[in-house]
This record gives sequence, structure tokens and C-alpha cells, in this order.
Amino acid sequence: MAEQIDASFTLTGIPISRGIALGRAHLIAHTALEVRHYLIEPSAVEVEVNRLCTATEEVHTELLTLRDTLPEDAPEEMAAFLDVHLMILHDEMLTKIPAQLIRKQRYNAEWALTTQLEILSRQFDEINDAYLRERKADVVQIVERVLKRLAGAAHALAAPTSTTKDDLIVIARDIAPADMLQFKHHALIGFATDLGGETSHTAIVARSLDIPAVVGLQHACQFIKQNDWLIIDGDIGVVIVNPSQLILNEYRDKKNQQQQAHKKLQRLRHTPTQTEDGIPITLLANIEIPDDAPHALSAGAMGVGLFRSEFLFMNRGEHLPDEEEQFLAYRNAVNAMGGLPVTIRTIDLGADKPLYADHIASPNAALGLRAIRWALSEPHMFLIQLRALLRASACGPVQILLPMLAHHAEVEQTLLLLARAKSELDIAGHAYDANIKVGAMIEIPAAVFVLPMLMQRLDFLSIGTNDLIQYTLAVDRTDSAVAHLYDPHHPAVLQLIARVISEANRVGMPVAVCGEMAGDPNMTRLLLGMGLQEFSMHPAQFLHVKKEILQANQAQLSKLVHNILISTDPHTTRILLAQLNSSS
Amino acid sequence: MEKTIITVTNKLGLHARASAKLTQLTSRFASEIWITRNERRVNAKSIMGVMMLAAGIDTQLILETIGSDEKEAAQAVIALFESKFGEE
Repeated sequence: MAEQIDASFTLTGIPISRGIALGRAHLIAHTALEVRHYLIEPSAVEVEVNRLCTATEEVHTELLTLRDTLPEDAPEEMAAFLDVHLMILHDEMLTKIPAQLIRKQRYNAEWALTTQLEILSRQFDEINDAYLRERKADVVQIVERVLKRLAGAAHALAAPTSTTKDDLIVIARDIAPADMLQFKHHALIGFATDLGGETSHTAIVARSLDIPAVVGLQHACQFIKQNDWLIIDGDIGVVIVNPSQLILNEYRDKKNQQQQAHKKLQRLRHTPTQTEDGIPITLLANIEIPDDAPHALSAGAMGVGLFRSEFLFMNRGEHLPDEEEQFLAYRNAVNAMGGLPVTIRTIDLGADKPLYADHIASPNAALGLRAIRWALSEPHMFLIQLRALLRASACGPVQILLPMLAHHAEVEQTLLLLARAKSELDIAGHAYDANIKVGAMIEIPAAVFVLPMLMQRLDFLSIGTNDLIQYTLAVDRTDSAVAHLYDPHHPAVLQLIARVISEANRVGMPVAVCGEMAGDPNMTRLLLGMGLQEFSMHPAQFLHVKKEILQANQAQLSKLVHNILISTDPHTTRILLAQLNSSS
Repeated sequence: MEKTIITVTNKLGLHARASAKLTQLTSRFASEIWITRNERRVNAKSIMGVMMLAAGIDTQLILETIGSDEKEAAQAVIALFESKFGEE
């Protein structure tokens, strides 16, 4: 009889912590929340209440012990999570109310506790805030601990047997952060759970421990057996069970490559960013909130190329941030960058990203009243932002970036408002940079055709490739019916970008690309070949793009890119693009 | 009884840690302490009750304290909200 080989299969869930793990499954059985239901004799009711209290006290001791014996290298959050769990344990909703159920309904302790858990679960499910809704998992974890104590079992999870030599991947319905600690001294290299989401405490801890993890698999506990061979692909959220030798080898290679590539990239951190032929390139950061700035700086940013100011304005209801609040936020980012330039984009909200729920929806949001158009339609609000930006410029180099410009009048009105903001600050006695630089975001094709006007009136350019592609090709990429037509390599898109870069370079005006294209290492050579010297992206992309820059020869690339730009045949274009990225 | 309107001013609102801080504080007082948002009135000593309010930044809440140390309790809660829960 042939040796039985377990069939290979794949489960898909939510990736919460990146990386690849290869190892053996270690299943954690969970207490089913299915418990016995029976009625207590009236004379035994107080005994039953006591049983619940004792179990709660035992869990209390268990959690305290865990908290007080946290290993030194445990993530900072762990102690805080354990405190929250302790407070949930003693919450009257899990103590007083179940005790009432025992006394009044004569439910046994387990029944009382699970009845109350159901009520609480429904209330948590109704919460709109995803993070708070996830706290239901914490409550369930606590109730499970108490149920185990009621059943007379200590909570300690079955620790792996000492004979196991392979690395362990924990499979569970759900894992409490506290439970993960119990595996700290074993070779825990990854885990996968049936429940959970991106903001679960478990996910946060997995990321801080830097171990690959997938959650929300739904049926992992049902289908995976103890000691099954597993691959966890934390990049795409997949668990491969009993992989074939071929797949196993492939993933071993992939894991090695990832480790090598990671090490190599880290070595580039302190290398100056310049092309092989010696042209210095500036890597700038795109940030969302002032708190992103220190991270951008430590990742090696030479400034902030795009600080989106929208965060200040969203979810604020009718109360828009006043000048002081805006000033403080901008100043925080400027101070954090320690003298490096910070480019702040004025409010880019409007019909598509409404400020208020009752904001009148535009029938065609992308073409509606948004960005600079909306700002100019609310001059009072816009003036407050300009004053706050100017005041921040007294603390360090600030540049103002105007989104969605296309018309001469928009430029003139904005400059007029800026002049008014300056004179108001003069009167109020506030300091500001009188020569503050103002730039145009190039994201509407029309802006490319009026470049001479924009360049005459403004100080720098920044190309927003996402919107430029959307408007050039008339494609909404969130509409799946046409998303395939959203093509960054379309000749029209490439020609528009190339034209902006070359016209700016011709007169020595600074020009950056701040859309997704700038952070895509597959686009780096193309942009370098067009003559781009300022790339603004999420700091996580810095080293990937830098690697391309260091190996690129701008003079050679510019010849290749010229051929791509004049090519009229899509097939030839594709071949030339492939050549571009494989040339060295 | 002390009754005041308080506003959530910290960026994250009454999330898990802020809720924990609030319930740790309120548990020290003998008075009953209640917080109301719209129709929902919860015991401010219950971490789950406070989390279920799901009160984000700028939410207005009614604070009620009833008991021997109601004044001190109200002041302490107001101070905690004003300090943005020590988060910022």
C-alpha cells in the first residue's frame, strides 16, 4: 500500500504581519463557548455566585502573574493590554450582571456568563468605530478564561512537547496577546487564526514581534491537523497546508531572497543618493500627519515633498480647525524636520471627500467643486489656512503647494489672498517668511498646456501622477469596469510628464513627482530618464527607489526614454520599457 | 448632584486606553459617576460601558456625579478630559 500523503490545500485570510514562515502546525484547542445550561436549586444560589467570584479571582491572579513576569523584550503594548483585560474582567457587566442572572433566573454560572456575553457582543457589533468594535474579541477572550476556570482547568495552553525540533506555527481560533507570551520561549515563528482583523490587539503584537501572521481564516482550526507542514505567507494572507516539495522549495528560496534583499537594502541607508553618473537625486517624504515627520526624517528624507493638510479637516463636523490649531500642526511638522524644507498642500477636499455628511454630493465628484476650486469658494476658510501656513514659515522652510490648478484666475485669486494674509499678519505682528515659495500641483492635463503661465507666476512644480492619469485617460480607477484602462505607461501620460519635467529643467525651476509613480521602483528609471531629480513618496519606499537610482545612468536612460516617447507602436513601447528596466 | 457638559478633545477619542484611564480614575471615588452620550447613559466605572459610547474627538458628553465626593469626582474627570488623557 502506498504511503498516505496528506493532500495539500490553501486557506486565505487577512494579512496582518508581513514575511514568510515555514514550520509545523501547533493547534491550540479552545473552550467552546457552548456550555451546559441548568437551573440552580434556590438554596444553592449563593454557592453558585461564589463559584463565579472564585473563578474571576483566579483569572485575576493569572493575569497579574503574566503582567508581572513579562519578559524584558516584550512589546510595550503588552502590559497595557493586560491591564485592559484586568479591567474588563472586573467590569460590573461581567460580574454584577451575571451574578444577578444566577440569583434571579437561577442560571448556572457558565450559562449566566455566556448569556451576558451574547448581549455584550451584540452591543459591540453595533459600534461604528472598527477599532472599538474589535474589542469584542478581548471580552470573549476574558470570558473564555473564566469559563475554563469554572471547568476546573487552569488556562495554561498546551505547551509544545520538548521533542519538537521544528519551528512552530500556532493555529488557533483566536489568540489573546497574553497567550502569545506563553510561546515566547518556544520557537514560535508565525501564527494563523480563524478570527481577528487588522486592528485586533493580536495583530498589533504580531507586527511588533515581527512574526508573519494571517488572521480571519475562518476554517483553519477545522482543516489543519497537529504537526501539519505549513507555509504562512504574511505578505498576501495565505496559509498553505502540506505544501508539495516544489512549493516548499520555492518558498524557502523566496524567504532567503527576502532576507538577503532586506539586508542589502539596509546597507544603502547611509549611501548618498545619486545616479551612477553622479547626478544627485532628492528623496522627499509624503506625510499625512505631523507625527509622520520624525519617522520620515529617520528613514532618510531630505524634506517633505507633500504634507497633505486634509487630516486637520476630516471628521470635524461643522467645527473646522482654527488658525491656532492649524499653525501648531504645521509648526510641529516643520520643527520635526529640523530645518529641511516642508511642502504643505492646501486643503484638497471637496465634493469627492466631503467634509460634512450632508455635503451636497456632486453628480461627478472628480470634476466637481474640490481642491483649489472649493478653497476659493470658501475664501474665509482658505485665508485662515494661508495665515497658519505663513506663520509656520517663521519656524523653518515652508513651501505652499496648490492642488488642481488649471486656470489663470485661480492662480491670481490665490496670490491675492496670500498677499492679504501677509498684510493681516503684519498688522497682528506675526512673523513669517516674506519670500515663501508657492508651487503648482500638476494634475490636470490643461495645466501642462499653460505651464508658461504657471511658471511665470509660481516658484515650483509638483506632478500628482494619480490624478493626472485619471484626468488624461478619463478613467476612474475605483470603478472596476474601467480600472484596467488606468495605465501609467499610456503614451499621452508619459508625454505630459516628460514635458513638465523638461520645461521646468530648461529654466531651472524645481520640479518633483509626488504621486504613486515616484514610489514605484519600476518607474524610477523612466522618471530619471525624463530628467527628474526630486522624488516624493512614502518613506517605506525610499530604499527600494534608491537602489534603482544608484544603478542608473541618467545620460543613457535619457536616450532610451526619448525612444519610448516617440514610439507610436504599443508593442515597441513595451519592449523598450522592458529594456529600460533591465539595462544597467 | 453635579452635572456638567464635557467635550472629548484627544485625537483618538475614548478608545481602549483612554477608557481604561477614565475607569481607573472613577473607580477611586465613592460617588456614582455617569456619562451620557445622546440617549446612552453608562456607568463611568465600567470600561466596557465607556468603550460602547464610541465617543470620538469633539463628542459632547454629559457628566453626572452623585455622592459624598461628587464635587471632587467631577473635577478629576474634567481635568482628565482637559489633559487629553495625557496622549498629546
